[in-house]
Amino acid sequence: MDAEVLGLSHRILIIDDEDDIREVAALSLESVAGWEVATANSGAQGVTRAAEFKPEAILLDVMMPGMDGPTTFRALRSNPATSHIPVLLLTAKVQSNDQRRFADLGVEAVLFKPFDPMTLSTQIAEVLGWK
Amino acid sequence: MKERMDPIAQPAMAQAIEAMWVKFLPLMEERLAILEAAETALSSGLLTIEQRVAANTAAHKLAGVLGTFGLTKGTILAREVEILYSAEPELDPAAAREIKKITAQLREMIDCRKAASHNDCV
Repeated sequence: MDAEVLGLSHRILIIDDEDDIREVAALSLESVAGWEVATANSGAQGVTRAAEFKPEAILLDVMMPGMDGPTTFRALRSNPATSHIPVLLLTAKVQSNDQRRFADLGVEAVLFKPFDPMTLSTQIAEVLGWK
Repeated sequence: MKERMDPIAQPAMAQAIEAMWVKFLPLMEERLAILEAAETALSSGLLTIEQRVAANTAAHKLAGVLGTFGLTKGTILAREVEILYSAEPELDPAAAREIKKITAQLREMIDCRKAASHNDCV
């Protein structure tokens, strides 16, 4: 029986270097959806945290110092422990060439900042087929 | 797998988001100060590459978050500044005037939001 039928929580990892975005997103997913949330403030920390926490999905910022979103995504994909986890990019870039570049990476979806804290979990759930 | 927590009511969530706004207001102010310093330097013809890059980044970050705190127009303004700072190659006088105007609007909006609910500042 799956989590949806049991009414259980989902596990999600947020990787974002911006404290405000990371904390509001975590608050939103925990409080509105009741999901279990882990966070990481860099791509490198996110790769490690993903292997430990084993989330069902990862919300990944694009623009981060050091390992940016695309580099972090490739690192996650190259690790057998995390290669299967769906990744949703979170970006404030709205230009169409950026959007094409991100879509070509092979991520599950690209979500845009600013997000609405009341509906972020719904957006994620729709993309991932969680009801 | 952990059991689902009880979702909190919308007013409680709004209150929690408001607390986040207060917590991160210094960060918003910091980003705005970078934009204001860059604008002052630009007006004086003294804008360095480093300042321009920092202003571009600060505008990008504001664009990404202001709407989350209810300041949708703030996101639009910050995005306009980001586009202006990232335009190639030189910022002409018209762009400088636009940056000055938008930076002032962002200051006004954030100052308003400090003193009132976001519904009064859009």
